[in-house]
Amino acid sequence: MSTAGLKCPCCGSSSIVEDDHHAHRQMVCVDCGAVVSEGALTHDFFEGTDVSYSRTTAVSKKPCLNQIKGQQRLTALCRVLRVNAEVETLSSTYFAQAYEHESFLKVSLQKKENLAGCCVLVSCRQLNWPVTMGTIACLLEADIAILGAVYQEMMKVLKVEAPLVNVSDVMEAHCQEYKISSLDVHEDLAEDRKDLNKRALSLVELAADSWILTGRQPVPLMMATVYLAWQSLNPNHIRLKVSLEKFCLIAKVKKNRVAVKRVSEIKGVLCKLGKEIPWVTDPVTSDNVVKHVGDIVKNRYALLRSAMRSHEEAMRDSQEEEVNPSEADDQTPHATSENSEMAEQPREGNESNANQNPVPNWGKRMLFAPPCVIHPKRRRAALEGLKDVTGDEDISDGEIESYIRTPREAREFAVTQKAWLSQSEEAKCQ
Amino acid sequence: MTCKMWVWVFIMIGLDAAGPVSNSGKSCSVLGKSWMAARASRVIMDESALERYFDDSIANDSGFLNGDDADLPSTPDPLPRSPKPSGELADDLDLSFLPDELSANACDAEGSGSGGGVALASHHEAEAEDRPSSSSSHLANDSAIFCPMTPMTPMTPMTPMTERSGIVPQLQNIVSTVNLGCPLDLKFIALQARNAEYNPKRFAAVIMRIREPRTTALIFSSGKMVCTGAKSEEQSRLAARKYARVVQKLGFPARFLDFKIQNMVASCDVCFPIRLEGLVLTHQQFSSYEPELFPGLIYRMVKPRIVLLIFVSGKVVLTGAKERGEIYEAFENIYPILRGFRKQ
Repeated sequence: MSTAGLKCPCCGSSSIVEDDHHAHRQMVCVDCGAVVSEGALTHDFFEGTDVSYSRTTAVSKKPCLNQIKGQQRLTALCRVLRVNAEVETLSSTYFAQAYEHESFLKVSLQKKENLAGCCVLVSCRQLNWPVTMGTIACLLEADIAILGAVYQEMMKVLKVEAPLVNVSDVMEAHCQEYKISSLDVHEDLAEDRKDLNKRALSLVELAADSWILTGRQPVPLMMATVYLAWQSLNPNHIRLKVSLEKFCLIAKVKKNRVAVKRVSEIKGVLCKLGKEIPWVTDPVTSDNVVKHVGDIVKNRYALLRSAMRSHEEAMRDSQEEEVNPSEADDQTPHATSENSEMAEQPREGNESNANQNPVPNWGKRMLFAPPCVIHPKRRRAALEGLKDVTGDEDISDGEIESYIRTPREAREFAVTQKAWLSQSEEAKCQ
Repeated sequence: MTCKMWVWVFIMIGLDAAGPVSNSGKSCSVLGKSWMAARASRVIMDESALERYFDDSIANDSGFLNGDDADLPSTPDPLPRSPKPSGELADDLDLSFLPDELSANACDAEGSGSGGGVALASHHEAEAEDRPSSSSSHLANDSAIFCPMTPMTPMTPMTPMTERSGIVPQLQNIVSTVNLGCPLDLKFIALQARNAEYNPKRFAAVIMRIREPRTTALIFSSGKMVCTGAKSEEQSRLAARKYARVVQKLGFPARFLDFKIQNMVASCDVCFPIRLEGLVLTHQQFSSYEPELFPGLIYRMVKPRIVLLIFVSGKVVLTGAKERGEIYEAFENIYPILRGFRKQ
């Protein structure tokens, strides 16, 4: 058939016909004989069945490479922590489940690694295998805050709950990290692991009873208790001189700033209990309390009770003292005015103190209170804002004007902003 | 995590907790709770209430004693009573404030004396505590569900509900939104307003601040605005209106549409230390306590839908409320639970 619109490139004529050259279809110009275009050598479609490639050759969805790597990391973690097979299988299933979820599909590789750690953590918790988040973070070399965020998200996705980790359970695993058996260090500094563990455990229980443990990170506290236990099991002058930092060097453990604070807090509690020991005559201070730790720990419940009792008596005595001056005041209204004024002033002082900070008083009144209550953070006094606002009051124009720039100010600001922008661009180019 | 990140955590927890619009019977539920308290207290009857009740009954005629006989089966009756016919009872008791069906029921039902007596006991309880007169009217409202003989099935742990906590949570922050109803030129606003900052690469809104009430607003180019930092609902509304006026003065046809409080944050102190480990054991389905991540316990209360952050020092932060009443209700719910974890 003749085609319209095609022009011969040689002579420009538009009469082009289709011609077959040995069954090879060609478009030929009638006037000059040039071949305009050739057809394909074959133009028969392959008339096969209507099945696409993916349907005939597709394989069931294999886990991608990253997921396989993640599972390997997970099993490696389990081996390091030496958990049993149940924990391993459970964590594998959790990982497979969570990995498929949309919130974990397009995230960084680090987050996927953290996810593996979190699955192990959750399975350990559910099957009563004590592991702290700090340990997992350490093994993965991840930031505990990021790990925590991934953990919370994973819990929401998998809709599981995990019971709280008991610090006492973790103590034994924690103690194993410290290399102070007689094989590692000098005889004077060496300590048997079981004794150390036992003593540290009782110190942890004491800390838990006296509000030092609740709400705090467990690792610094565990370190502090191990240190004090080590010192107190053999309180010779060598050990007493060793500071916490040096102890960490000896035991080849990473040091912790917060543990120092915990040591002083536990020592404070021990001092309070040490005062109650009947056969100790010297005053118990934080320097010499370590000697008595053995006795304190052995009789801690009795000492606690006796400390509470003597504290109650002390409180009652001080309350009576407060009442007495006021009674004397009432009884002698006609007494010399100076006396009554003097009696009034300390009472007023007490009252004004009570009015200014009534809240921290309750912490100071108790024998054992959480340290954040005994030493409260100083807060800026809240600015006294509007009270009794109806919300529908008139808004003065002057006030609103004060928030708007004058035209001149606006111009100056625009000019300086442009100048500053051009300056920063120049600096960037250079 | 820095402090700032924890602020965002609080806001996110609050926004996360923001659920569907609360039912309109909010005030009813608060009063309903106090009525339940009255009923529960009548059943548990601590000494002071019992004394008051007996004083009242002795002061009035013996109709009360008959009522008391039937509705306190557990407590031993110190005074011997003879059951009087119910018709006499109806004459003695003033049932005028109750709807007809209850007074009819009081005559007919098996525990008729108890029904009247109980209603009166609640009424006296209400009087003794100086409740507003609305309580008697809604006693009538709740009379339809009132069944004197059914056993109490409390939904919260059974603690003596006669004592209120006496602590009122203080509002710390209100977040509200409003639609100014017109598109805005943010560059122009940032140029013309003194108290505005605009960094489009960092955030797509103008951040504007006013001094009184001390608040911050995020103003978007669509005309929508978020106002934060106010300490009460009225202050938030006033602040939002001031921002709208500033935008108006800059030349935009701003209006004040759909003002809505989105989140309220409050805090208070119960003044005793709390055993968080114990609380997470007994209330595991509501609490989340990870000392390695955050020192406080996160308690997600179901009714009302509020998130509470409970700390060992006894300080409690409540967030996620759309109305003030939800915060008060949530605190009154949690206070007896916390009291249970008080002793060392």
